[in-house]
Amino acid sequence: MNLKTLATTLVVSALSISAASADILDTIKERGKLIVGTKADYKPYGFLDTSGAIIGIEPDLARDVAEKLGVEIEFVPVVSSNRMQFLEQGKIDLMIATMTDKPDRREIVLIPDPNYYSSGTNILALKSLGLKEWEDLRGKPVCGIQGAFYNKATSQNYGAEIVAFKGTAEAYSALKGGNCAAFVYDDSAIVAKAAEPEWAEYEMPLQTIDDAPWGLAVALGEDNFAQLMSDMIIDWHKTGRILELETKWGVTNTPFAQAMHDKYK
Amino acid sequence: MTYKTDLPVMLPMKRREAEPFLSLKMWYILPIALLAILGPNLVVAQSTPESQSPIAVLLNWAPLLLKGFIFNLVISVSAMALGTFVGAILGLGQISLFAPTRHSSWFVTQFFRNAPWLVLLFFAMFLLPFEINLFGFKIPFPDWFKAILGLSLPVMANVSEIVRGAVRSLPSGQWEAAESLAYTRLQTLWLIILPQCVKRMLPPWMNLYSILTMATVLASIVGVNEVMTLTGQALASEGGRPDLLAPFYGFVLLLFFIYCYPIAKFTVWLETKYAVIS
Repeated sequence: MNLKTLATTLVVSALSISAASADILDTIKERGKLIVGTKADYKPYGFLDTSGAIIGIEPDLARDVAEKLGVEIEFVPVVSSNRMQFLEQGKIDLMIATMTDKPDRREIVLIPDPNYYSSGTNILALKSLGLKEWEDLRGKPVCGIQGAFYNKATSQNYGAEIVAFKGTAEAYSALKGGNCAAFVYDDSAIVAKAAEPEWAEYEMPLQTIDDAPWGLAVALGEDNFAQLMSDMIIDWHKTGRILELETKWGVTNTPFAQAMHDKYK
Repeated sequence: MTYKTDLPVMLPMKRREAEPFLSLKMWYILPIALLAILGPNLVVAQSTPESQSPIAVLLNWAPLLLKGFIFNLVISVSAMALGTFVGAILGLGQISLFAPTRHSSWFVTQFFRNAPWLVLLFFAMFLLPFEINLFGFKIPFPDWFKAILGLSLPVMANVSEIVRGAVRSLPSGQWEAAESLAYTRLQTLWLIILPQCVKRMLPPWMNLYSILTMATVLASIVGVNEVMTLTGQALASEGGRPDLLAPFYGFVLLLFFIYCYPIAKFTVWLETKYAVIS
């Protein structure tokens, strides 16, 4: 009897392994639900509405994918430090989470080409400081967000002293309070911030650096899904979907999105 | 009964109580939190008429934050239940007559009691898989469950010490009397010692629960969707307005205070009720 139980267990577990290695597209369709990892603290790319639902540019893109597959959608909030692990573990099927496309990341997850978005690094600082180039930041305290890759670049290349905060609210507050000379962040977000009336005395004075493309990702080995995503991205660029979403969520159209639209149309 | 006398030796010894600084009382934190929530309104109301006042924004988010807070309470209650169950066994292991049990229980207790809570939480988070394949059934292992496991470890160790301490605090006469009446060790523990321990353990146990509840916000660092995580996300969704920081965190402070203060009061009441000298 014991042997029989053991044999059954083995067969059942073998079955479950084969099910796990099946194509993820089949799994998604069988489940009837696409699970997408997006940011929940990165306005306007992925953030919460007051009911707790995740909304923004990237969730809208993910909805397009679910619609194409004809399945429901579920969002899992991710942060920079766990987004690739979630994908590796199979906790999410697809990750669209403001991730910069880097060669070392391509070894861990599968990033389909072309890139869907791009952003660079810039600073928000008082106009009265009269900052002109990145070198001017040397030795000055500069606010940043924990886990952002450009913190390292700003401190190593330009000698700024990074003070890293948990969220943007804390960093903006520190900047207003004069705890740091500037706030280093994504250029698109800074442009929007500097346009607000409360921030009239602040500006984005420097040349944008590290303009890097963003990549969405699927788990390694899911070539069919990656192919489908490649087609989706090309379609987004072709139809001007990205530009349209930028306008919808109040972002000035970025040169990257414009260029990609021109390229594929 | 009191005697009228001028002899100092006959007067009851005056016990000195800790006096709060400037006779501040604990509940003063309530108006302080309210001030934190309401204060920025008054300032911002004048400066930017077009954006919503902080209190209006907070009211929008309050239901979601409350849901997150309830999640904190679920985590705290579950971790406490699990930690108490395992900790009680471990505590009894510490007074076992069998040396290996006694020593290993002591080691486990000391190890987890002297480790930082956050480090234990990180271990639980990143060492456990997100789902386990048990006999072909996929049992999901969500983040909140891992947080419960991670937080129950220090609770377990502390409960173990509370149990051991309570048993040790009973006069040895209780043991001797039981033995002279031919009770077995198990009977002595179960029928004589432990019933007397319960009331001694209750106040420190409730203190521990309070501390655990306040420690559940640590789970935000490892990405569990509890009240602190949601607060951060809500602040980001409002575009990182600095004037919202104090009201939002003040609100979270208030939630925890309203929940934990009655527990603290009740614990003090229990302590005086069960105190040896009254």
